Amino acid sequence: MKRRGEMVLAFAVIVAASLASTAGAGSTVAAKTQGVSCKSTLKIGFTAPFTGGAGFLGNEQLSWAKYAVKTLAPKYGLKIKLITGDTPVEQGPAIAQTIAQKFIADKTVVAVLGPSTSGNVVASSQAFWQAGLAHISPSATRTSLTKGPAKSATPAFFRVVPGDYIQGPSDAAFMLKKGAKNVVLFDFQEPYSQGLADAAESVLKAKSVTTTRLSVANTVTDFSSFVTKVPSSADFVFFPTQKPGDAQNIAQQLLEQGKKAKVFGGDGSNDASQFKVPGSFVSNFAPDISGFAYNKAVIAGWKKDNSGQALGSFGPPAYLATQVALNAIKKACAIGKGQIKDRRDVVRNVKKIVVKNSILGGDFRFSTKSNDPLNAKFYIFEIQSDGSYQLVV
Amino acid sequence: MDTFIQLTLNGLTLGSVYALIALGYSLVYGILKLLNFAHGDVFMVGTFIGFGAIQLLGGTVNPIVPVWALLLLITLAAMAGCACLGVVIERFAYRPLRDAPRIAPLISALGVSFFIAYSMQLLFGAEPRNYDTFSLNGGALYTNGFDIGNVRVPMIRIITIVAAFVMMILLWLLVTRTRVGTAMRATSHDREAAAMMGIDIDKVIVFAFVLGSALAGAAGVLFALRIPTYATIGFLIGLKGFTAAVIGGIGSIPGAMAGGLVLGFAESYAQGYISTRWSDLLVFVLLILFLVFRPQGILGKADIRKV
Repeated sequence: MKRRGEMVLAFAVIVAASLASTAGAGSTVAAKTQGVSCKSTLKIGFTAPFTGGAGFLGNEQLSWAKYAVKTLAPKYGLKIKLITGDTPVEQGPAIAQTIAQKFIADKTVVAVLGPSTSGNVVASSQAFWQAGLAHISPSATRTSLTKGPAKSATPAFFRVVPGDYIQGPSDAAFMLKKGAKNVVLFDFQEPYSQGLADAAESVLKAKSVTTTRLSVANTVTDFSSFVTKVPSSADFVFFPTQKPGDAQNIAQQLLEQGKKAKVFGGDGSNDASQFKVPGSFVSNFAPDISGFAYNKAVIAGWKKDNSGQALGSFGPPAYLATQVALNAIKKACAIGKGQIKDRRDVVRNVKKIVVKNSILGGDFRFSTKSNDPLNAKFYIFEIQSDGSYQLVV
Repeated sequence: MDTFIQLTLNGLTLGSVYALIALGYSLVYGILKLLNFAHGDVFMVGTFIGFGAIQLLGGTVNPIVPVWALLLLITLAAMAGCACLGVVIERFAYRPLRDAPRIAPLISALGVSFFIAYSMQLLFGAEPRNYDTFSLNGGALYTNGFDIGNVRVPMIRIITIVAAFVMMILLWLLVTRTRVGTAMRATSHDREAAAMMGIDIDKVIVFAFVLGSALAGAAGVLFALRIPTYATIGFLIGLKGFTAAVIGGIGSIPGAMAGGLVLGFAESYAQGYISTRWSDLLVFVLLILFLVFRPQGILGKADIRKV
């Protein structure tokens, strides 16, 4: 009896410890700026996953945001310091709330880049809105952030990339074009993957494609039993993970179990260093920017600052988001005659920004109907035998 | 039928890893009556040592040694590294508390667990580490193997299962056929009486930590051959190893083996036949059911004490 009691107590202690370690953030603090001189050093917050399974994404974005600040801010007559907040995807959205409070409490933070993931936008947008802080994401794509009756982001949220309302249907259309008759769709019980899988599934079902939905906890590391449930006749496994290593893992396990289905990863799995099983596909909101001649100088400059790093697809949208933020800050400074009297002045100006010859191709502007980019699209890449990504659509 | 065979294979692979982890819990509990919750993190360190050893051996694309030697060397490196870590943990976190109330080493174990996990995260970052065994011999470990009906049994699973069972058999022989094994069993049965018979209890305890941690290191490598690892992976895997030990009968070596396999099959069949969404929940419901209705586990003995 004593032994049983000890083991029950031990189990209770360990569960309590694990719950305590994930406890979240405090309450919202609305800190209104009293007025900041534009001649002083202003800060832009950047919140993204810099460590963890999606750390590759945040670090790539940060390198481009730093480059944008370094090269563009002096041209706009601004002194800008970039400060960061790490939100590993494994820690869930609570950490995003904590970081939001940190940025809000600093009155010299006049705009925020990110959050980079949709779940973290949902977790922090309300706090940013109350504090009047514009937050411009280079990669949060969940549709309901900006659209629909139950919008989960506030009017202070903007994104420079299109949402899953384009990605899901684009991915589905590609699978249909490839003759898909049977598709298995995964979600990971969090907003990003659920939204994307829902969007793709509805298009596939409308075209009478047989679909199977598998919902997997975000903590699962071995997908063997899920792969077992993938029918032999399946053509694609739609796998919108935010951890490219998991996309590689399931592609390997499909081969291991002799399944012919190809893995189709979303923008979150777009990392050639981790996801490299030939014949798989990934979609992304950014094209290969080296295809636009006017980007030559920008790419060369970034490469000089980041020698040895490959040109990815998450970084350039961060450059664009920074460019939009800097322009909005500049406008707010002009309106305030050398002062940002209220951080809301930046929010009010973001939507008016137009970037000619943007790094992502063509002129960038926001839609008049939502805080999404106008006329944006998704791009699809196929993984080659040497592990490189080749643009196919 | 194919689905059943495949799920059984999945369960056997997973279960053999759980069994190796559960053995570490059982060895330490059997001798010290201590639930070593840092054991899952020793497993995690094993996965990282294996990753480091692969890099030292030239990586998986162009390794400087044959594949079999690479697999053997990384496993031995992880076992040796984890054995050393086990000794350090015992010496600094548990030995000073050996005569303290039993809740003290339990809390110390939790502290050690978090210390190891977050130290590793600070030292090596939180990015997942993938052994990339897919690149070994152009993916041969995944595509070669044999078939049972329409189900492929790939080489990588054969290696995992066979290696785990070989280690379990060796441990069984060590515990039942050697002097040190006899000393371990005697200490487990009655520590004070064993000391009076001339057994060096400290050495036996350290040896139990060495063995348990080495097995955790081996389990780490066998696990990470197929699955990416990261600094905080040990907590959940360790909890499942603990569950396996309880199901089998904590303190019992055959029980730990049986418990690991039962848990592996339960998890695999739950994912395959019940719900992919609730498999972890079902695993821990199983733990609670055993704790409440059969705390001695499948092969453990009821703890009868003279009152």
